[in-house]
Amino acid sequence: MGASITVEYVKKALPSGLIKWSSIGLIVGLALVIFSATMDMQRLAFSSLLGYMFVMSIAMGALFFIALDHITGSIWSTPFRRIAEILTNAIWLAPIMAAPILYNIFLEMGGHGMFDMYHWTHDAVVAADPFLSQKAPYLNESSFIFRTVLIWVLMIIFKFILVGNSYKQDKTFNHKTNKVNAAFSAIFMAVFAVSITLTAIDFMMSLEPHWFSTIFGIYYFAGTFACIVAMITLIAVNFNEKGLMIEGINKDHYYSLGGWMFAFTTFWMYIAFSQFMLIWYANIPEETFWYMPRMEGTWAYLSIALIFIKFLVPFGLSIQRPSKTNPKRLKLVAMWIIGAHIYDIWWVSYPTYSHLKETHSPFFGWQELGFVLFAISAVFFVFAIAAKNKNIVPIGDAKMERAINFHL
Amino acid sequence: MHTETKDYDNDLRIARPIVEGKRTLKQIDDAIIAPLDRLPNIKFWIAISFTLTLLMIGATALAFSFYYGTGLWGNNNPVGWALPIVNFVFWVGIGHAGTLISAILFLLRQRWRNGIARFAEAMTIFAVITALIFPIIHTGRPWVAAVYLLPYPNQHSLWVNFTSPLLWDVFAVSTYFTVSFVFWYVGLIPDFAVLRDRATGKIKKLLYSVFSLGWRFSNRHWKHYEMMYLILAGMATPLVLSVHTIVSFDFAVSILPGWHTTIFPPYFVAGAIFSGFAMVQNSLVIIRKIFDMEDLIPISTLELMNKIILLTGMMVGYAYTMEFFIAWYSGNQPETFAFVNRAFGPYAWAYWIMFSCNVFIPQLFWFKKVRRNLFLMFIIAVFVNVGMWFERFVITVTSLSRDFLPSSWAYYTPTITDFAILIGSFGLFFTLVLIFVRVLPAIAIAEIKAVTEQGQPSHTHLHIGNGKSNEAH
Amino acid sequence: MIKENLYAISALFDTPDSIMKAADNISTEYKRFDVNTPYPVHGMDDAMKLTPSRIGYFTISIGLFCMSFMLYFMYWSNSVDYPQVIGGKPFFAFPAYVPIMFEITILTGAVLSVAMMISVLFKFPNNAHPLHDSGYMKAVSSDKYGIYVEAKDSNFDYSKLEKQFKELGASSVSPIYYDEEEVDWKPNTWDPKFVIGTIGIAILTSFSVYMHMNKVLFMVPFDWMMNQERADYGETSEFFADGYSMRVAPVGTIARGFIPYQYDSPDSASKYMTNPTVASEHNLELGQRKFLTYCSPCHGNMAEGASRLKGNMPPGPDLRTEFYQNFTDGRFYHTITKGKGIMAGYESQITREERWAIINYIRTLQKAFGTPVVKTEEEIAENSETKTEASE
Repeated sequence: MGASITVEYVKKALPSGLIKWSSIGLIVGLALVIFSATMDMQRLAFSSLLGYMFVMSIAMGALFFIALDHITGSIWSTPFRRIAEILTNAIWLAPIMAAPILYNIFLEMGGHGMFDMYHWTHDAVVAADPFLSQKAPYLNESSFIFRTVLIWVLMIIFKFILVGNSYKQDKTFNHKTNKVNAAFSAIFMAVFAVSITLTAIDFMMSLEPHWFSTIFGIYYFAGTFACIVAMITLIAVNFNEKGLMIEGINKDHYYSLGGWMFAFTTFWMYIAFSQFMLIWYANIPEETFWYMPRMEGTWAYLSIALIFIKFLVPFGLSIQRPSKTNPKRLKLVAMWIIGAHIYDIWWVSYPTYSHLKETHSPFFGWQELGFVLFAISAVFFVFAIAAKNKNIVPIGDAKMERAINFHL
Repeated sequence: MHTETKDYDNDLRIARPIVEGKRTLKQIDDAIIAPLDRLPNIKFWIAISFTLTLLMIGATALAFSFYYGTGLWGNNNPVGWALPIVNFVFWVGIGHAGTLISAILFLLRQRWRNGIARFAEAMTIFAVITALIFPIIHTGRPWVAAVYLLPYPNQHSLWVNFTSPLLWDVFAVSTYFTVSFVFWYVGLIPDFAVLRDRATGKIKKLLYSVFSLGWRFSNRHWKHYEMMYLILAGMATPLVLSVHTIVSFDFAVSILPGWHTTIFPPYFVAGAIFSGFAMVQNSLVIIRKIFDMEDLIPISTLELMNKIILLTGMMVGYAYTMEFFIAWYSGNQPETFAFVNRAFGPYAWAYWIMFSCNVFIPQLFWFKKVRRNLFLMFIIAVFVNVGMWFERFVITVTSLSRDFLPSSWAYYTPTITDFAILIGSFGLFFTLVLIFVRVLPAIAIAEIKAVTEQGQPSHTHLHIGNGKSNEAH
Repeated sequence: MIKENLYAISALFDTPDSIMKAADNISTEYKRFDVNTPYPVHGMDDAMKLTPSRIGYFTISIGLFCMSFMLYFMYWSNSVDYPQVIGGKPFFAFPAYVPIMFEITILTGAVLSVAMMISVLFKFPNNAHPLHDSGYMKAVSSDKYGIYVEAKDSNFDYSKLEKQFKELGASSVSPIYYDEEEVDWKPNTWDPKFVIGTIGIAILTSFSVYMHMNKVLFMVPFDWMMNQERADYGETSEFFADGYSMRVAPVGTIARGFIPYQYDSPDSASKYMTNPTVASEHNLELGQRKFLTYCSPCHGNMAEGASRLKGNMPPGPDLRTEFYQNFTDGRFYHTITKGKGIMAGYESQITREERWAIINYIRTLQKAFGTPVVKTEEEIAENSETKTEASE
C-alpha cells in the first residue's frame, strides 16, 4: 500500500507579506482592543463576540471541510485540505476571543459581573421570570462555561486525530490512514452538528433569552461554511499564484471552490428567508420581537443591506461560469464573503447592545473594527506560524495522484 | 481485458470504473433497448396485474368518495387535514430523490449517477403525478379545483390568495412537474433518435421520429444541449429544495405547536430526500434483477445510495432533536406538551414506529456488509419509507388532534376508504413505472455511453468520485 | 459517380481519439462541416473551434422578466384591483410573494429556454434533413463517430476530402445525398398542406369553442354555476308549506347596526336628548347635503317653507321662524325620526349622525335667515316648556 512519491511537490517559503501584514494587523488590533478594554468593557465584550464567532467559524468550519473531504472521498478538495488543516489552529485563539465574555459570566456566578451582557446571568431577573427559570437548567453560568470549554476540547481532540494523521501521512504514505480518518470524520460530523448548534445558541441566541428558533444552528452553519470555503479559496488562490502549491491545480479546482461559495451564499439566503418569513407570517409576538428592532429606524436599512451584502452581491459576482474560475474574481468574492459573515454576526448580536444602551441606533465604531482586525490578523498570524515547517499540500494522501489534473 | 483483480476498496490511487465489465457501445444499445423490442415476460405481467389491482382499489374508493362525499373519510373536527395531505407530502417527498439524483449529483459531477438518472427522473414525474392527485381530490369536489386555484380573469375581480401557502404549493408543484418533465424529455431526445434509427415497424419509426424532433447527434447541437442540461440541473436543484420547503410552509406558517417551527424547511427537504432515495433504491434493486442490468447499475451505485440514505436519516434525527430541545427551551407550554404528547399520548404507537424506522434502523447502514447486501438494503429501505409516511402522519395528526383547546381534542382514525386511496396511489405509481420501463429506455443511453471506459478521448478517464482524472502515462 | 444532389461527404471513425484528431484537422480548412457523435465527447467543442453556448444569458433574462411581471400582477390584484385584508397581512405582503416569484422565475426560465433552444437554435422539429435515414446516421447514433463536410463549402473537393479522411483513419467514407423530393423543395408560405391544415385547425377550434361556450356549459353537470341548488326568487319551494322560496324575516328581526329609538313623545326626546355632534365644517356639509335631499322637497332649499311638490302635498313650515328657533335639538330629532302629522318618519332613511347634522344645518339657516331674535340655550329651553306648538 505504501508507494513512492508520485506527487511532485517543492516546498517553498511562505510569502513574506503574510507574516508581515498579519503581525502589523495583530499589533494594531491588539492595541485597539486594549484601548477599548480600558474604556468600556461591555462594548469590548460585544465586539469580542464578533471575533469569537468568526474564529469558531474558521476553526470548526475547517475541521468540517477536512471531515467532508475524508468522508466523501472527494478528489478536488484534497490539494486544499492542508490549508484547512493549518487553519484549524485558529481553535487556540478561541479562549482569547471568548475571554471577556467568559470572564464576565464567571464573575456572574459569584453574583455580579462587570457589565450587562446576557440577561439570564442576572439571578434576580431569572428568579422573577418563569420562562428564564424554566430554562435555567440549560442556561446558567456554569453549564455555559462547561459547554464552551467542552466544545473547545472536542475540537482539539479531533484536530489532533484528523490533522495529526494527515501530517503523519506526509511521511508514511500509508493509504490506511485515509480509511482511519474517514471513520473518525464520520463520528466528527455528529459532534460537529451538536457543537456548532450549541455555540450559536449559547453565544448568539441567548443574547435574547426569551427568543428561540429551531433553525438558528443551521443559520450559523450556512454562514460558517461559506466563510471557511472563502478563507480556503483566498489562501489557496494566492498561494497557487505564487507557486506554493502543486503543479496541476487548474481552473476546474477553482470552479469547485467558486461553486461552493456560490451554493452556500444561496443556501444562507434560503435559511435566513425561511426563518424570517415563518416568523413574520405567524406574527406571534413571542417570536416577532426579535425581528422588530431590526426592522425599525436605521436598523431597517441595515437589514436590507444584509440581503445585499450577504446574498445579492456575492450571488451576482459568482453566478457566471467564468467568474468561478477567474483568480481575481475568486479572491474578491472570498474577501467579500468573509466580511459579509462578520457583518451577519454583527447584525444578529448588536441590537441587543443597542437595547442595553436603551437606544435604537446601531453601534459600529473603532471598537468593533479594532476587534475584527485583531481577530482576522490573529487567524492569519497563527496560520503563518503553523504553516512554517509544513507542506502546503497533503502529499502523502492516497487521493493526491487523482487530485492533480482533476477535470470536471 | 483486465486479468488482475483491482482492489478498488483499499487502493485509493485507482478509482472504481462506473460501468463495470466491458461492453461495447453497440452491446449497451442492445442491452438497454432489448426489453422494449421483445414482448414482456411473465414476471412483468404478474407485476403489472398486481399494481393495476391496487390502482383499481384506489379508483373505486375515489369514485365512492366523489359520489357519497368526504364523509367516507376519517377527517373530523379538529383533524380536518389528515390522510390526503399526509399522502400528498409523502409522494412529493419521494419525487425529490429523482431530481436529486439527476440534477444535484450531476452538478456535483458524480458520474455514477448516469446509470440511474433516467429512471430516477421518471420516478420523480410519476411521484409528482401521484402526489398531485391528492390536492385535487381532497376537497371532495375536484371539478372546481381549477376555479379555486388558478388566477383567471373574471367579472368579480376574484383572485386567488397569493399569500396562502396552499397556493404557493400549486405554483411550486406544477413548476416542479413541468420542469422535471422538460428535463426528462430533453434527456430523452437523443434516446428517441437512437430508437428511431433502430426502428423496424413503420408506426414505431414515425412515433420515434416525431418525439426525437429530428435529433441528428450533431456536436453543434450537443454544445447547446449540454449547456441547457447544466442550466436545467442548476435550476432544478434550488427548485427541488424550494418545492418541499413550500410544502413545509403549509404547516410552518401556522401557529400550531408542533407545526410552527423554523427548522421545517430544511427538515422536510432532508426527509424528502431520505424517503425518495429509499424508494428509488427499492425500485432499482427490482428493476436491475428483472432486466439483467446488474453491470450497468452495479452494487457500488446502490452502496452510495445507501450512504446518502444514512446521511439524510441523520439530518432528520438532528431535526427531531432540535425540535424537542427548543420545545423545552422555549418554555412555551403548548409547544412542550405537543412533543410530550407525540411520544406518550394516544398516537405514541405512530411516533415510535416513526422514530425507530427513521433513526434506529438506518444506522445499520454504517456496516459495509449491510450496505452491499441486496436483501438487507431492500428491507431497510422499506422500513425507511414506512417511517417517513408515519412521520408525516405524526406531524399532521397529533398537532391537530390535540392543540390549544382541550375541549376540542378528538382522536382521528383513517377509514377503509382512506387506506384504499393510499393503496391506489401506490398502484398508480408502480403501474406508471412498469409501463415506463417497457416503453422507454430505462437507462439514458447517451449518458451511460459517455461514462464507459472507452467513451472519452484518451487524456481523460472516467471513474467514480470525479469526472476525469489523469492516469500517469 | 457523384450525383448532382450531393449534400456532403461523410466519414466514420471508431474511437474518440480519432474523431478528435479529425475534427481538429478539418476545422482548420473548412467552415461548413459538422461532427456527429452518439454522446457528447469532451473537448470536441474546442477541437471544432466553436464558441461557448450563451443560452444561460437568455434563461436568466427571461426568467427575471417573467418574475417581475408576476410580482406586478400579485401587487395589482391584491393592492389595486381587490384589496382585502387577509390574515392581518398588509396589501402588499412582499415576503409572502417571494415563493411564487421564485417558482415563476424557474418555470419560465426553464421552459422558455428549452423552447427557444429547440425551435431557434436547433430549428427542430425537422425530420427532413438529408442525414436522416442514411447509413451514416444509423452508425452515428449507435457506436461510431462521424464527421462530414457539406458540398456547399467553398473549399469543397470530393476526392481531396476522401483522401484526407482516409489518411485520418476513417473506417468508411461515403457521400450523403438529398432525398429526391427534397432537392427542389423550397419552403412555401402558401403550401397547400399547410394552408389546409391551418384552416382545418381554425374550423376545429372555432367549432369546439362555440360548442363549449354555448352548449356544453349549459348542460348538466357543467351548468352547476347557473343552476345551483339553492332557492331562487320566484321558484316554487318544495320545502316550505306555503310554497314560497322568498321568506319574510321572523318577528323581531332588526337590521345590523339598528338601535331602537326609545323616546315616544317629542317632549321626552326634547328633555333627554342632546346633540352629540359638533357643527364642524364636515358635519355641516353633511347636514346640508342630507337636508337638500330629504327635507328640501317640502321645506324648501333654505328651509323657507317653499315646496316643490306642486300641491301634491301641503308645504312644510318655514323652519327659520322664532317658533322653530325655540325647538330644542332633541325635539327636531324626534320629528325627523318619527314624523309629525303628514310628515313621515325618516328613521329608515337618515342615519343618526345625519339627523344631527341636518339639525346643525337648520340652526345655521336660522342664524343666517331667521327672524332677528336669536336665543341662547337657556332662553330656548325656557320657552319650549311654556309655548304650545302652532298647529299645522
